[in-house]
Amino acid sequence: MKKLVFLAVFAIVALSAYSYMTATQNKDLQNALSVQYAKNISDASSKLQELDEAVKKTLLFNQGEGDLEAREDIWRLSSDIQQSVASLPLDQQFSTTWMNYLGRLGKFSKEGDERTDPKEFHKVMDRASQNIQSLSEQWSVATADMASGNLSMAEWQERLDGEKASFDWNGLSASIQQYTESDFPLTASESDALKKKELKHIKDPAVTKEEALTKFKKLFPDVSNQVIDTTESKPGAAYPFYHIRFADNDSVGYIDITKKGGHILSFLTERPTGAGTMDIDKVRTSVETFLKDSGYTDVVFEEVRENDTAFHLVYTRVEKMHRAKVLSDTIQIKAAKEDGRILGLNAAEYIRKEQLKDQPIITIDWKTFFHKNVKVNKQELVYVENEHGIQRLAYALTVTLEENGEIGTYIVLVDTETKAVIKTEKQP
Amino acid sequence: MNKTMRTMLIGLLFFVGIQLSLSTDTHAFTDRGLAKGTKGDDVIELQARLQYIGFFKGKIDGNFGSQTYWALREFQEKYGMPVDGIAGTKTKKKLTSVSSYDKKFVMDNIKAGKEFTHYGGKPLTSQVKGGSTTTKPSTNTQVPSKYSEDDLKLLANAVYGESRGEPYEGQVAVAAVILNRIEHPDFPNTVGGVIFQPGAFTAVSDGQIWLEPNERAKEAVIDAMNGWDPSENAIYYFNPITATSKWIWSRPQIKKIGLHIFCN
Repeated sequence: MKKLVFLAVFAIVALSAYSYMTATQNKDLQNALSVQYAKNISDASSKLQELDEAVKKTLLFNQGEGDLEAREDIWRLSSDIQQSVASLPLDQQFSTTWMNYLGRLGKFSKEGDERTDPKEFHKVMDRASQNIQSLSEQWSVATADMASGNLSMAEWQERLDGEKASFDWNGLSASIQQYTESDFPLTASESDALKKKELKHIKDPAVTKEEALTKFKKLFPDVSNQVIDTTESKPGAAYPFYHIRFADNDSVGYIDITKKGGHILSFLTERPTGAGTMDIDKVRTSVETFLKDSGYTDVVFEEVRENDTAFHLVYTRVEKMHRAKVLSDTIQIKAAKEDGRILGLNAAEYIRKEQLKDQPIITIDWKTFFHKNVKVNKQELVYVENEHGIQRLAYALTVTLEENGEIGTYIVLVDTETKAVIKTEKQP
Repeated sequence: MNKTMRTMLIGLLFFVGIQLSLSTDTHAFTDRGLAKGTKGDDVIELQARLQYIGFFKGKIDGNFGSQTYWALREFQEKYGMPVDGIAGTKTKKKLTSVSSYDKKFVMDNIKAGKEFTHYGGKPLTSQVKGGSTTTKPSTNTQVPSKYSEDDLKLLANAVYGESRGEPYEGQVAVAAVILNRIEHPDFPNTVGGVIFQPGAFTAVSDGQIWLEPNERAKEAVIDAMNGWDPSENAIYYFNPITATSKWIWSRPQIKKIGLHIFCN
């Protein structure tokens, strides 16, 4: 009996000690997190005031060094606030709209000197200044006392959750949404880019569910005998499509086909993998035969990456004006390593087909363009999207440079008309 | 007896001769051609042999990248072969005949994650960086250049933590949503930033993100990194059975995969 009592007392003491230690540890962690949140709230608040000042400063100058400095401040501060906001457990809707506004403000300010008429820039900043001031005031009310660092996790959640908080975060989200629409409406090119992304421009006639299935069976006869179901995209989808799921023998997967035109968006199958690796040349031949038979006749091989069970191959569309590759119009293929069978096809970018304009091509002397140690190994023409979202014809140069005894390889894209460097990418 | 001995001796010499002739053959490599984008033990051998004779100065890691490509072209040019940057039968045969490859040395050092080189003309033991210097072990996975191995690892953790019970398509879709957010102005622009945004993913909140991901989750991430997006450009997804946020129901829905609804 005594032993039992001793054991029971010992167990209670041990459990109490363990609970106490765990509770202390949890409290320490919560305190650390609370301090971190408080710091981020405090950072965001003080930087919001600085941002307000920076925006006002741009209204002082027409153009020049002072103006440039203020614009850079706006870009830096908006990016800093974005980081603080991203690390806080804020209401998701508020966080989304706030990040969007800051991103647009920073981008507009950074690119303003190249793209915007100074009068228009002033007008936008004047409006943004009023909105940021108002936002700053509302943010102060919303986050009052939060920077003290002594709130519990439950209290943080209560204060920042759109549905539980006493502060109207949803109202603030709605205000920011309005500011975004008034200060930074979508530009023509952004709007156009979105439309393209959403595939709304496809004007092809609609295909029926049966026609979509027939296409699937024609392109992938090996896996299309056992279709599980065919559903339609939900009303919120930007472009309507059929979603076909299949499970044929060992292969399980899906294919998405657009309703307009019956174009394949993507196809992917999962199946057990075997041993062995097929020669890459044979895989390419097999893939290219498949592409040709499937009607993708205007694409050329771009690159391949080998992984444990499959090769991922990339093909790029070639346009007719200059025989230039259109880097945004690609098709990705996943082929099994053991036998080259097509495991996946992604043509979503290819069917979005970029709208291209002709453009002058001036000759550039690469010897004077690059440093003397740079060697140009290959030159070809490509269409590529510049930072403003516009497709430009560019020279794509594969250049090498000796770097500490090793050879560094870069792809440099240079606008054929303006000589501007659109992109420089180091190759692995 | 003498005749038998002589026959055996001739047979032995013939066998040794065959073996010697085979030792300069390409049998050390696999039969396949090696080109930019391939990977594996045969690429390790290619790099090690090219380094042995001074053409390849990069890290021997088994990934046929640009450095290997230029080194191979230089080798082909030097030995009067067609210059195409592809290691076919003839190139491998020539390379094998003019270089040496210490497979054990190379493989042991790769496994141990040590920094080393494989140049000819100096003792191999002196080509391993001293002390306990090690490099981060490579997963030997090839992803598009805008992503890193750390991105792959973190994404695989997130996909496994969020959707390990979902169909493969659903796992690729979860990875694609994370990648779509990186491109979207409303979200942080790094993999870590998106995944660890407070409240964004349940697996982060409940710690399941730290479970060891399986190969399936990793492959789903590789497919998403290579462009597949079964979510059709979604930036949110939720499980209608467990979702508590009213706001998420207001998002325009695109499609349902497994238990998740994907939306804009």
